[in-house]
Amino acid sequence: MRRGAATRVIAEREIRERLSGRVTRIVTVATAILVVAGIAIPGLVKSSASATRIGLVGSRSQALAPAFERAAKAAQVTVRLPDVAGVGAARALLDTGKLDAAIDMGASSATIEVKQSLSAQTRAVIAAAVDEAHFRSALAKAGVPVAKVLPAVTPVPLTTVVLKPQPADQDARYVAAIFVGLLMYLAITLYGTAVATGVAQEKTSRTAEVLLSAVRPQQLLVGKVVGIGLVGLGQLAIAAIAGLLTNAAVHSAKIPGSVWVLMPAFLAFFVAGFALYAFALAATGALVARPEEAQSATLPLIMPLPIGYVLTFVAIGSPNATWLRVVSWLPPLTPTLMPARIALGTVDWWEYPLVTVIMLASIYGIVRVASAVYAGGLLRGGERLSWWTALRGKD
Amino acid sequence: MTLDTGPALSVSALGKRFGELVALDGVALSVGHGEIVGLVGRNGAGKTTAMRAVMGILAPDRGTVTWDGQPVGDRARLRFGYMPEERGLYPQMRLLDQVVYFARLHGLDPAAAVDSARRWLDRLGLGERAGEKLVALSHGNQQRVQLAVALVHSPELLVLDEPFAGLDPEAVDSLSEVLFERAAAGTAVLFSSHQLELVERVCRRVVILEAGRVLAAGTLAELRRELPAQLRVKVDGPDGWTQGLAGVSVERSDEDGVLLVVQPGTDPQTILQAALAAGPVEHFGFESGGLLELYRRMVSR
Repeated sequence: MRRGAATRVIAEREIRERLSGRVTRIVTVATAILVVAGIAIPGLVKSSASATRIGLVGSRSQALAPAFERAAKAAQVTVRLPDVAGVGAARALLDTGKLDAAIDMGASSATIEVKQSLSAQTRAVIAAAVDEAHFRSALAKAGVPVAKVLPAVTPVPLTTVVLKPQPADQDARYVAAIFVGLLMYLAITLYGTAVATGVAQEKTSRTAEVLLSAVRPQQLLVGKVVGIGLVGLGQLAIAAIAGLLTNAAVHSAKIPGSVWVLMPAFLAFFVAGFALYAFALAATGALVARPEEAQSATLPLIMPLPIGYVLTFVAIGSPNATWLRVVSWLPPLTPTLMPARIALGTVDWWEYPLVTVIMLASIYGIVRVASAVYAGGLLRGGERLSWWTALRGKD
Repeated sequence: MTLDTGPALSVSALGKRFGELVALDGVALSVGHGEIVGLVGRNGAGKTTAMRAVMGILAPDRGTVTWDGQPVGDRARLRFGYMPEERGLYPQMRLLDQVVYFARLHGLDPAAAVDSARRWLDRLGLGERAGEKLVALSHGNQQRVQLAVALVHSPELLVLDEPFAGLDPEAVDSLSEVLFERAAAGTAVLFSSHQLELVERVCRRVVILEAGRVLAAGTLAELRRELPAQLRVKVDGPDGWTQGLAGVSVERSDEDGVLLVVQPGTDPQTILQAALAAGPVEHFGFESGGLLELYRRMVSR
């Protein structure tokens, strides 16, 4: 039998055994729901960001509506100016979030009511409107024709030129970055640990010895990693398709760099990241003395995954930090950090070939060492082994 | 030497160390097509290590393993069947799936694998339970599944490490029957056991391992010839007639006559003549003793 054929038979068994279990189906559905939610929610969040609502309390305030319109226009802010009968009604509306602020004009002063805080922008709009109204009435009292001095009292339009504008989908980018980082962290942990426990079970149930009488350790190792990897990739692909459909349905198009780049990039980084972790975890599984030890033995190895995920928040805070860029090239952190940075749109084109080369070289190195440790540990009973003992004692 | 008459499996000068421990030290043995060879020796004598080396599960430091005169590679090993001392199968896998899986790993196509797996499960009395998980089975039945896994691809060489351990007498008989049947079909069988009376019953040839070396190998008769024989002679005459006989010493003397230890190469006829010269010979016979007795004497030598 050709060597590849045995590897395929091994991978097929992994896939069949996993698909026959209920856990796999539950995880598939849960992942898809997570992805759909991750895409739908930013779209919904974005659409709710709209006009600032300033309630005009009483007739004195309501008379100022044109002044508010002018001030808002000058400040390039969209406002809605609902009339409110009294302070009590205004407070009720503020409390339920139907108003952002309420203005109550007195004879010579004005009160702004807000629920928690007043944004500087809203305050500036209100102040400009109130000042303008005050100035007009003062002019009228003094008998100066308003039309003559009108140019003086109309707020000067201030235009801000932003040299590096924030993308319109900034919030969506943040959500997407956190989301891909989290999904990658969970997916690699889940399937990587499955490889380690699978190996530990084969070792401790002594099935490994029967298997090794027919196939080589490398075939067994590769078959297992490929089989479990394909189950994971299949689940994520289903989730990705669900995500694309959701994106099309909500027309959010809020996923940065377009979903069509992020989704394939995510799957590619999953394959690379899974390979990197799975081979190392398989070797760890071959070192344990009891299957229960697999979980604790793999813990130190998967630590870079949550660290990478936490660093995605740093990446959001300072997206252009050089140290973060360099850290994202470190192979254990690449799977979580790079997709997040792609989502944030901070990856330069030349980083792709660089990261590809670093990842492939690391995977090659890990596969070499892990295969030797795996082969050395699989048939050695007794106590839990260290990587070094397994390497030295390999047959 | 032609292919048909030469040994199928030939192991020579096998050496293996685990750190300070010498597990195998120049082990040589052979098994012919259709022959059943027993590997005996105390715990730690190197039986399992030798079998693992044959199966390619561990690489020996030196020595060769050949099959039909060719060094054994991955391809040849697919035609070997193996049952390790520490049994191991997937606890949560269904019997049929499990046996089919191992058949596939040995190169059978899916249809042939299912066919053969069903046949062996039926043959071993597990046909009805093919859909059950391994854990649901008793220890003895799990052992049968292990045997089915070793046999499912119709191997040309069967390597069985302690196959009789933990079997009830009925199961011992049915396993022996399977081994005889496979051997009759031309399969070479190498198995290890501590149960020497069983080894004696099942195989024609044995290999005795001791501290990683072959202490002795051959048929029971050949092994006896290597050891000083025990000869019981009863002569109706005076004692002392054995004095002066080369290669003969008296182990003990009682009312049944004398028990002599006769070194290999000594002609029994000279002893008989000396006995006749001393008086009428009432009894003259070699004590045969079984493999167990033989083994004890070999090891204590």
